[in-house]
Amino acid sequence: MKSFHRSVVGALAGVALVATTLGGAHAAAPATTPGTTASAAASGAAITVALGSEPTSLDPHTVDDGGERAINDNIYETLLTRDADGKLQPGLATALPTQVDPTTWRFTLRDGVTFHDGTTFTADAVVATVNRMIRLIQEKKTDNDGFYSTLASAKKVDDLTVDIVTTKPDGVLPARAYWLKIVAPGSETKDDLSDAPNGTGPYTFTSRETGVNIVLTANPTYWGGAPSISKVTYEFVSEAGTRLAGLKSGKYDLITNLAPNNVKEAPAYQAKQAQEHPILILNADGGITADPNVRKALNLAVDKQALIDGVYSGFATIDEGQLLSPSIVGYNDTIKAYPYDPEQAKQLIKAAGAEGKTITLVGESSGRWLNDKDLLETIAGYWQEIGLTVDLQTPEFGKYLDVLFDRNQRADAIFVSSSNDLLDPDRQLSTYYQAGGIGSSNSNKDLAALIDQGRQELNADARAKVYQDAVKMAYDQAYFVWLVSNQDVYGTSTRLVFTPRVDSKLLVKDMSVKA
Amino acid sequence: MGRYLLKRLPQGMVVIFGVTVFVFIVTRVVGDPVKFMLPLSATAEQRAAQRHVMGLDRPILAQFWSFLGDVIHLDFGTSTYVRGKAALSVVFDYLPRTLQLVAAGMVLAVVLSIPLGLLASRKPGGALDRALTSLSLVGLSMPQFFLGSVLVIAFTVKLQWFQTGVGPLHRHLVLPAVCLALPAVGRLAMLVRSSMIDELNSQYVKVLKAKGMPARRILAVHALRNAGIPYVTLLGWEIIRALAGFTVVVESVFAWPGIGFMAKQAIAQQDFYLIQAIVFVVAVMVVVLNILIDVSYKLLDPRVTLR
Repeated sequence: MKSFHRSVVGALAGVALVATTLGGAHAAAPATTPGTTASAAASGAAITVALGSEPTSLDPHTVDDGGERAINDNIYETLLTRDADGKLQPGLATALPTQVDPTTWRFTLRDGVTFHDGTTFTADAVVATVNRMIRLIQEKKTDNDGFYSTLASAKKVDDLTVDIVTTKPDGVLPARAYWLKIVAPGSETKDDLSDAPNGTGPYTFTSRETGVNIVLTANPTYWGGAPSISKVTYEFVSEAGTRLAGLKSGKYDLITNLAPNNVKEAPAYQAKQAQEHPILILNADGGITADPNVRKALNLAVDKQALIDGVYSGFATIDEGQLLSPSIVGYNDTIKAYPYDPEQAKQLIKAAGAEGKTITLVGESSGRWLNDKDLLETIAGYWQEIGLTVDLQTPEFGKYLDVLFDRNQRADAIFVSSSNDLLDPDRQLSTYYQAGGIGSSNSNKDLAALIDQGRQELNADARAKVYQDAVKMAYDQAYFVWLVSNQDVYGTSTRLVFTPRVDSKLLVKDMSVKA
Repeated sequence: MGRYLLKRLPQGMVVIFGVTVFVFIVTRVVGDPVKFMLPLSATAEQRAAQRHVMGLDRPILAQFWSFLGDVIHLDFGTSTYVRGKAALSVVFDYLPRTLQLVAAGMVLAVVLSIPLGLLASRKPGGALDRALTSLSLVGLSMPQFFLGSVLVIAFTVKLQWFQTGVGPLHRHLVLPAVCLALPAVGRLAMLVRSSMIDELNSQYVKVLKAKGMPARRILAVHALRNAGIPYVTLLGWEIIRALAGFTVVVESVFAWPGIGFMAKQAIAQQDFYLIQAIVFVVAVMVVVLNILIDVSYKLLDPRVTLR
């Protein structure tokens, strides 16, 4: 049996040897990944970006998906853009649109722009884009009808002038023009453009391996000048810890959604107040929260600064009582957050006769939003302290959505984290503030009328005023418990130069790599 | 053999059909992909319209008949998660990586478990046996999500020998394969150990020893071969469990985009169509594997007849 024993040991040693050689050899040569190629010059560098999820499609019109946008924002362009602070700027149009009549907006287009396939960009492309979106909405082939349902038609005036017509006066149209990606003429009849992205943007689509990566290459003839980073590879990593591990090992130059408590581990990081606002929707029409004083007490009971420090490691700012970030039209800078005043809250609860009563607070447990369970447990604690009994429910996301969307029976308090894509107040307020909105829990007709009015107001200043009044009205009624505004936190390599934007877009043309 | 297949194939098809119907019922009862497809701010009317277009507002029996009609043509519908793609084609996009992972993991399990089991069986109760038995127990009882996280922290974050995600296999496949293999190594090695102890104490081995046959030959030709049937049974079971379950965990931890990874996404998004296609393909593989395991008995032991 001895000889046999020896051969077994030998075989095991062999396996171990192979394993160490495999591991060891590559520990010695980590410079094979693009992320660690230190010799890369400042221009012509290649970077790798880790996104939290793979795009579910690369069609610029059919899905509402952050992964799709992260990539297509570099391939496609829009008539209007925004600067890093959210102000509307010319894009494929040379200026902000002018009003021909209340339902017609005229855009003058940039000359000398071509699509990646060589087609010249003219008014025909805008007409094709608008027609395609209208058709996709009619045929229920897009998730984005909420963004574009006011589009009626587009008319070519001449090669570089186009009119976009809306079904009714639409104050949101400039913001929509910042969101609608322009596709080439001929695309209007196609249902799916996912396999052959063709835009006018600074990067061209190079390759996609499903589940693995998407590669873009700089467009040397980009009208805004060839970008400095020559190649971008996107990988998709759902686990935050795995993204961080890849960043630390030099595989990635940029990762999204770095957990605030991990920033110290990242080689470098960037944070920016963006559009995400966790909020609690209170049922103003029934139950314990029907009393405005109870709703106020629920606000006064919460120490927002402690939430920022404890739940978000400092990467958030206090929401000044309005769900809107300062970068949004209609932000009302005269409103200040309800202070932390548990004593007054207790008195209000007592006076309302609500002491010891049960309040239901519904959130979700799938980790859809950053630290949302911690947040809700902390808030439940605050509410207990002012004399309420809190029934905290955190079902999985699908069940939670059933509660959020239940129009017949509103829970006392529903957690949601709301973002703002268009950087326009209409959609957020229509959804959560306006009576009948799918996430709203009040039936205030005056508030609803203001939101309708804001949507149709064409004068930008008058429009801002309408929304300022609307958010003030909701604040006075305490229809919500306003909490904080999250910051976007990105982990980066030390060589990447990157400034985050309020709209969270990852525009590679504005990034560079240190020499 | 022909008779055997004639009997087993229809049985297999019944299993596949049953599983498919079961998944249809479960997903329709609890799920609604539209909830996840549309933005949170979509209105109730927009949601209802989308459900209508997808036919989800029809009576469940009507949905079931059209589903059956489509499945017979291997049409599982269009995925709502990987938007606009046929669900079955999404599965075939991701399947090769799962097969790669399971193959690597199982080869590793075999290569490690046989020698470890043999070593442990040499002196039952000895120090080496006790050490290997304890190690096997640790291996087989370690939850894979935990083991995987430990491996990632140790070998990709600290030592940086390997990486997660997809890339050159020697840097990307090794860790998930090890993670998939280790619990199987524990179970298989224990099985090899106990079978060998039985075999080596049996009458025929004593006779062979008395006859003067070299120990090596006794092991390789007689004892090991007789331990083969339980080993192959357990190995087949390990492969099936890997394909139909463990890869979901391992692929998620290591960001290895196979069908396990996709299954997790599809369930999270309540993508009926993709879930159904994945379950169908896995069920087919399980049925085929079971037949292959039966066939292998015949090869290991000529006395076995397949009926």
